[in-house]
This record gives sequence, structure tokens and C-alpha cells, in this order.
Amino acid sequence: MIEMKNLERSYRTGHTETWVLRRINLTIREGEFVTVMGPSGAGKSSLLNVLAMLDDQWRGEFYFADHGVHAMNRKQRAELARRRIGMVFQSYHLLDDLTVAENIDLPLSYKDIPKSERQALVADTLDRFNIVGKKDLFPSQLSGGQQQLVGIARAVIHKPDLLLADEPTGNLHSEQAKEIMQLFRALNEQGTTVVQVTHSETNAEYGTRTIELRDGWLYRDTAGLEANVAEVKA
Amino acid sequence: MMQDLRYALRQLRRTPAFTVTAVLTLALGIGANTAIFTVFHEVLLRSLPVQMPGELVQLSYIGSNMGRINIFGGDGTDYFSYPMYQDLRDKSTVFSGMLSDTEAQVGAVWKNQPELVNAELVSGNYFDVLGVNAAAGRTLLPSDDRVKEGSPVVVLSYDYWKTRFALSPAVLNESILINGHPFVIVGVAASGFHSAINGFKPKLFFPMMMEAQVMPGQDKLADRRFVWLTVVARLKPGVSLATAQAAMTPLWKSLRAEELTSITRGSAKFREEFVAKSSMILKENSKGFSPLRDDLKTPLMILMGMVLLLAAMTCVNLTSLLLVRAAARGREFAVRYALGAARGRVMRQMLIEGLLLGTLGGGLGLLIAPMAASILVRRISGSENDALYSVAPGGVVLWFNIALSLGISLLFSMAPAWQMMKPSLNEALRQQSASTLGGAQRFRRTAIAIQIGLSVLLLSGAGLFVRTLHKLKAQNMGIATDHLLGFAIDPSLSGYSAKESLGVQNGVRSALAGLPGTKWVGGTTDPVLSGNQERRSLQIEGYSAPQGEDVAVEAPHITPGYMEALGIPLIAGRDLSEADGVNTQKVALVNQNFATKYFGSPQKALGHYIATGGPATKLDIQIIGVVGDSKHRGVREGVVSTVYLAFAQYPDLSGLQFYVRTLQTPEMAENNVRAALHGLDSKLVVDSMKTMDEQIDDSVSNERMIALLAVSFALVALLTTAVGLYGVLAYATAQRTREIGIRMALGAQRMAVVRLVLLDMAKVALIGIAVALPVSVLMARWLRSQLFEVQPFDPLTLIGCVVVTAVMVMAAAALPARRAASVEPTKALRTE
Repeated sequence: MIEMKNLERSYRTGHTETWVLRRINLTIREGEFVTVMGPSGAGKSSLLNVLAMLDDQWRGEFYFADHGVHAMNRKQRAELARRRIGMVFQSYHLLDDLTVAENIDLPLSYKDIPKSERQALVADTLDRFNIVGKKDLFPSQLSGGQQQLVGIARAVIHKPDLLLADEPTGNLHSEQAKEIMQLFRALNEQGTTVVQVTHSETNAEYGTRTIELRDGWLYRDTAGLEANVAEVKA
Repeated sequence: MMQDLRYALRQLRRTPAFTVTAVLTLALGIGANTAIFTVFHEVLLRSLPVQMPGELVQLSYIGSNMGRINIFGGDGTDYFSYPMYQDLRDKSTVFSGMLSDTEAQVGAVWKNQPELVNAELVSGNYFDVLGVNAAAGRTLLPSDDRVKEGSPVVVLSYDYWKTRFALSPAVLNESILINGHPFVIVGVAASGFHSAINGFKPKLFFPMMMEAQVMPGQDKLADRRFVWLTVVARLKPGVSLATAQAAMTPLWKSLRAEELTSITRGSAKFREEFVAKSSMILKENSKGFSPLRDDLKTPLMILMGMVLLLAAMTCVNLTSLLLVRAAARGREFAVRYALGAARGRVMRQMLIEGLLLGTLGGGLGLLIAPMAASILVRRISGSENDALYSVAPGGVVLWFNIALSLGISLLFSMAPAWQMMKPSLNEALRQQSASTLGGAQRFRRTAIAIQIGLSVLLLSGAGLFVRTLHKLKAQNMGIATDHLLGFAIDPSLSGYSAKESLGVQNGVRSALAGLPGTKWVGGTTDPVLSGNQERRSLQIEGYSAPQGEDVAVEAPHITPGYMEALGIPLIAGRDLSEADGVNTQKVALVNQNFATKYFGSPQKALGHYIATGGPATKLDIQIIGVVGDSKHRGVREGVVSTVYLAFAQYPDLSGLQFYVRTLQTPEMAENNVRAALHGLDSKLVVDSMKTMDEQIDDSVSNERMIALLAVSFALVALLTTAVGLYGVLAYATAQRTREIGIRMALGAQRMAVVRLVLLDMAKVALIGIAVALPVSVLMARWLRSQLFEVQPFDPLTLIGCVVVTAVMVMAAAALPARRAASVEPTKALRTE
């Protein structure tokens, strides 16, 4: 589903160039549940941003479902991401002034979907995540776990092929975290490819594969792609 | 306190763009207010610089004026004859003194340099009653005013003494030629005093008994029909206005009854009402009698209203800018609170910063106000050199400026200070300053809506006045206004007798007609579109006026060539000719309006006789021609019935307004005309030379002044609104970076973000406009008296307002919207 070849990303600060991703070669197949781990500053979120197509300042090759993302312009990448990718954030990033239902509807509102169809999809999603009773509440009226539930509902409403999650339980206590991770597993079992960034070993256990980044290099991959690892060691 | 002041100064220095914007906004708002108030105060509020001005009353009356001749036009109830003044002065008991005065214009020759100057003909007790002393020599005395033509003395105004005689005491007891007669300069009036007539600045004061010399051709001191003097009295100490009015009533009735005995005609009803329905009115006169004040009152009230709206806008604008700034400083104030600052101390800090801005803006406004006010006064005065009102920022104006600056500063500092009273420390310290000021966002949007609404109000006012001016200038005057040069010549002001005047004027006409480039030349005793009129009672052959109607028509005296010069067509009969002289049949032209009204058609009017004067007058003037209708008094006025008499057939007349139709531009002809007149007679004083287009501009000067200022205010309002809107929107957009990042991460395209920001502002603008439009229509009803052929609900103006406001809003919102669209979602979401 995803293939990266020699993907690199750096930031220029004055005369200094800081590398955050170095020669990443990575393949993710459909249906995988990949956990990206590593210390702070290792490049986890940067990798996630590249996968989400929010960042387009990288070099190398990136294929998404046989589409060459590296050959696309900004608009084409945004279009592809809008159709096929969903994203969950650590801070939920719900819009304070919108209700639960409106927040969930947000990704659909940026697509050419008739309103009646959107309403039906929102109703289905609310039902599926068991939050119908909260549809008219504002984010500030929900607990952290409930907010993240809404965040996930929003991320999957348009049935993405790839679900990206950046520290999805970072702001939750362990019980809430467990519920959210079970939800991710369920979504994965229903066919959604999941890539999560986390520091938590417990959360990583929900995945089927773990990769570890260090200083921008792909340091470890439980799928055992030795070439890349060998390059790091060299 | 000093520490707070130092800190406030440092804060303002640290944000120069904000400080300059705020100070300039305040300077424009407060400066415009101070300028308009300067003129408002001078014209409408300022008391005369005389002793105890509150004791002065002006005498006027209500009641029939039939048969009277009033040289100022109008209903004339503010004017009295000289015998009536004498009766009132000598027989009243409630006044400590009573003066009379009138305006005049004289030809003054000093050291062989002739000039035309404004003068005042006054009763001998004028300076005594007003309590005005002499700056040098003496003032006029009652003894100067006892014997007719017995005391050729003159008092100079202080300004004239300063500008013409360099304050030289040597001019005292020297002789100055007035209209060709020697007058002795006996003194100079006190500095700062101009006249008992507000808005009139005479340079010379003459005793009333010198009327014949000062106003050549006039000898009306004994004429009860000739009403021409304003009368002002000083109440005796302890006598109230009401008491005086009550005391004057029987005297007035008895004087009217006495006057009635000299009127032989009139119906029984008229004779009964002449006394019964007439009464004396005493008006408080501390500010001085001023016909100009009546003309300017409404325009100045409107301008003051508009400029106060501008002040309100400035205040709201600064409030929104300061709220934005305060929000950005949320963390700073949270730290202050966390370190133990009391709320009062934080509030004081905000107020001091506001007051500092207000002081700087108000100070700058005070510097620009006199410049703006002097432009306004020059427009009102109709002269570049002789300003009728002072624009020096005196005590009251200074206090107004200070009060306004402080008031605005306190108001605009209140909202941010109030916001800072209740911060959420935890969130503020985490730099989520938007949540620190929860309600501020709503307040800022309300402030923007108010600013947009106020801009719409000012814009719609400006639009209505511009449309009025346009309509006025597009009026058909009935005359050909291009290539027309006008000026006045009065031989009597150069020492010529009435008998000599006709010869001089004929000589002037011949000299002008012989100039290369002159097409036609003609003269009239009553200049067109100057606000003047020469109305006369008229008897018309075959027309009997209904009971009580006094047929009075416009009746100027003209020379041959006048109609051609002005381009007024001859419709029937013949024009005046050189053969129509003093020894031939008296003739007249009438306009179409007159012919149709009194005879049914132009042809039917020809050959009929008319007479000027009362019913007993012999019908001795034959109508020989009918000419086209034209506007006379002003652009706003409609066409009135007019009779044109032959100047040459009235030997008492002297002054003429000449009109020269030129082949080249009239501006080019000016020098030729002046040179020709100087060559003809160097003593002749040429007055008020201007083209007809300039005359029309003068005639709509009030409308132009209002339109010009209203447009200026509207532009300032638009500019400040745009600045405020930009500031608020830029800040709000910066605050929404996270939201915009999320939206983009969820699939929003950049155009959707631009639309989001613009739509947000469009909503606020729509609310502002929707509220302001009906209010502007309501307020426009109040302006109705100043509008011309434009309805308060003028669709073109209202649509124009909406379009201009929409363009301004979109222009101000464009940059923040573009900035919002360029938000990088990865950066926006990196707050985690």
C-alpha cells in the first residue's frame, strides 16, 4: 500500500540544515497495524506528516496504492489524502465552536457529498461509536476519552484506507487509553491500515509490526527489513 | 505612577506601528472635531467681546410690513426705520441704552490708494451701549451724531489699524477720503471687537448722521417706510427679558398706531390688524445679531453631528485595536497577577497607556485643527483674505479638545482594562491567550460591526451631499454661464454725484464694449445668483390683487446689452435700447413667468402699463418686451416674477454690476478689463470681479463645504475602519492558526480557508450595514433642509454606500485571508 524509497526530510535554520528523516526505505502492506516508536526528536511525527501528505518538502520516492506521490503537485496530494487517509491527533484537535456532530461532519464538508448523504453518514458514525447522545454537545463538555472518540470517529467517517494516529492516547488515562486502542484494533480488523506513533510499549502491543526511528534513521523494524537496518549500523 | 508612565512609554515605543496608527487615528478624529468645534463655537456659541453681553437684547417684531422698503430682503421684522429707532430709544424705560447700526461698503482713499472696505454706520451711543473702549484716541460719541452731516469723523477697527496703518498713532486726527469726502480719524476700537453684528468685520465706524456721505444716494433718516437698521438695547440692571418685553408691549402698540396714521391706504381689516396683530419681540443678544448665523446654523449642526460620529468611530476603533493588543499581552498581565499585582494596579497601567495615546493624538489634533478650521472659515467668508471668524484655538476650544481627548482615551481604555480584570491565569500562562479573553472575540466583532455601521452612516451622508451638489450644479439657470465675467462699479463710492454716475457708467460700458474679445456687455443694479434681491411693490394694469396681497416682484434696473450678455432670450417685443432715456417713455421688460402669471401669455403682456409703489401710484411704465425665465437669487431658488426696469431712466441710481460676455476665457479677459477701467478712470474701484462659474460656486458654497467635509469625514472613517478591521482580523486569523491547520489536515483546500475568513468578515459587515442603512435613512430626514432634489431614501446613494463599504471590507480582509490560506498544517499542529 505504501512504499518509500530513500525518503529524506530536513529543516533549514539559518545556515544549518537539520535532518529529521534520513534515507527511509519502508513498505507497509494493506491491513497492517504499524507502530512507530522512538525517542523525542527521532522523526516520528515528521514521518507521520509525510504519510498524511501534510508535508511536501521531502525528497525521495513515495508510492501510495501505486500512485507516485512524489510526482504529484500539492493539490493532487491533498485530494488523494482527503479521499484515502484519516488522521487522529494527540490533542484531539476538535474545533471548539462546533458540536460533536458538526466536528464529525467536517471532513465530509470538504468533499462533494450531498447534505442528506452526509447526515446519514454522520448518523451512522455516531451510532457506530455509540455517541449519539452526545452529538449536540461541544468538545468542552466532553471528557478527554470522549473527545478522542469523536476525533477517531471524525477520522474514519469517510472510510479511509489508511488511518494515522499521532500519540492518540497521550492525553488520556490508562483506562481510556485501553478503550481507544481496542477501537483501533477493531478498525484494523475491519480492514483499515493503521499507523500509530506512540511512546507506549503497551499501545505498541496492539499493533502487528513496530518500527523504531532514531535521529531520523529507520533503526529497527520487526518485519525485518535488514537492508535499511544494516545501512544504519554501517 | 511614574513607573507606570515609564512602562507605558516603553510599551508604545516597542510597538511603533501600533502607536503611530493609534496616534494618527486619534489625531484625525480629535483634530476634525476640534476644527469643526472651533467654527461651531465662533459662529453659534461665542459671546460678543463687550461688557456684560448677557444684558444685550435685540429688538424685532411681528406684524404686517406692507408698504415698507427693506434693503435686506426677507420679511424684514429684524429691521427698523431711523425715526422708529429714535422713538423706541427715547420712550422706553427698561433699557440703560439702545443703539442702532447697519452694514455699509465705502470707497476709502488713504495716501492716494483707493480701496473698497466694509464699514458700519452706527448711532452715536453705539460704543457706550456695548461698553467697548478705544484702543487709541476715542470712540464715537453721542455728540458726533446730533446734526445731520455735521460730524465727518471715523473710528478704525483695531484689525484695520494694524494691517493698513501698522498701529501708527500718527493717523489719529488725520483725514481719510470716504466716497470722496474727507473724514477725520478720531480713534481706534478695542482689540478683539469687530461689530455688534456677529460675523461682520467692518474696518470703519461712522456716525449715523453721516448717512448721505457713507451711503451715497441714500437719505432715509427721516423716512418711516425705509427699514434698514438693526436695534440692540442693554437691559437695565435687574430687569429681566420677560419684564422688558411686557413693558415694551404698550409702547410698541402706541407707536404702531401712530405709524398707521401716516398710512392712507389699506383695507379696514389690514388697518385693524396692523396694530392688533403686531407685537414687539425681544431676543437675547449676547452673541450678536447675525443673519449669517441663521444660514450656517443647520450646516454646522450637521457637520458637528457628523464629526461626533467620527469621534465615536475613533473611540470604537481604538477600543478594538487595544483589545487585540491586550489579548496579545494576556500572558504578560497573567504574569503580573501571578506575581501579586492588584487588579487596580493592572487597570491603572492600561488607563495610563490609553491616556498617553489620547494625549499624543489630541495634541497632534490640536495642531492640525486651526489649519482645517481656517479652510472652513475662508469658505464661509467667501474670501481668502478677510476671514469673518477667528480660528485661533482659544480657551473654550482648548478645553473641548482636552475633554474630548480624555473622554475618548478613558472610553477606549475601559474595555481592555476590564478584560484584564478577570484573566484565566492557568491558560494565559500556557499562552493560550484566546481563551484568556473569552468574550473579547465577540466584543471585537461587535466593535467592527459598529465601525462599519458608522462608516455607512457617514458615507450615506456624504453621498447625499455630493448628489445634492451635483444636482445644484446641473441646474438650468436660464442664463449662459460660460464665458461670462462679472464685477461691480459704484461711481458714488469714488466721489461722483448721482447726476454724474450715469455718464461714468455709460463710459465704462463703452470702454468695455470696445475691448477686443468682448461680445456683449450689460449692467444691473442687482447681481444674479448672489443671494440679493430687489423686490418692489407693483401695480399692474388690469390686475387687481386679492385683499391683503401685496404684489411685490423682483425689479432690478438694467442697461441695454444685459440680456445678450447673460444669454437670456427675447421671447416677445423688443429689448431695451440706448434711446430709452430719462426723457422718454418709461419702459420695462418682464420675464415669461410674470407675463404668464399676470397676462396669460407673453404676447398679451406687451404694451400694458405697470408702476412701482402703492395703489395710488400712476401706471407709467410700459412693458415693451418679454424675456426668458432665469434664476435670480440663488441656484436653489425657483424662478420668480421679474420686471427689468431701464437703469438710464432713474437718475438717482449709481452702482452697477457689469457682465461681460467674452470670446476668450473670462479669466484671460480679467486683466484687459482692469487695465481698460484703470485707463478710463483710476479713481473707480472695481469690486468682486469673478466669472459666472465662480459666482455659481460661491452660491452653492455652503453645500460644497458640507459635501467636501462630509466626504473627508467619510474617507477618514473608511480608512480607520479598514485599519481597525485589518488589525482585528489579522489577530483573529493568527489566533485561528490551529483551527485552520486542523481544517486543512482534514481536507480543506486553501480557497476554502480564504472563503472561511472572508465569509466570517462578510457576516459582520452585513450586520453592520443592515443596521446602519435604515438608521441612515432616518437620519437623512434630519438633513432634508440641506438636500436638493435628492430624497433621504436615495437608492443610488445607498447602493453606492454598500458597494464602497463592501470593497473596503474585502480589501482589509484580503491580506489576513491570504495569510490564513498560507498556513502550513504541519506547523499549525505542532503545538503538541
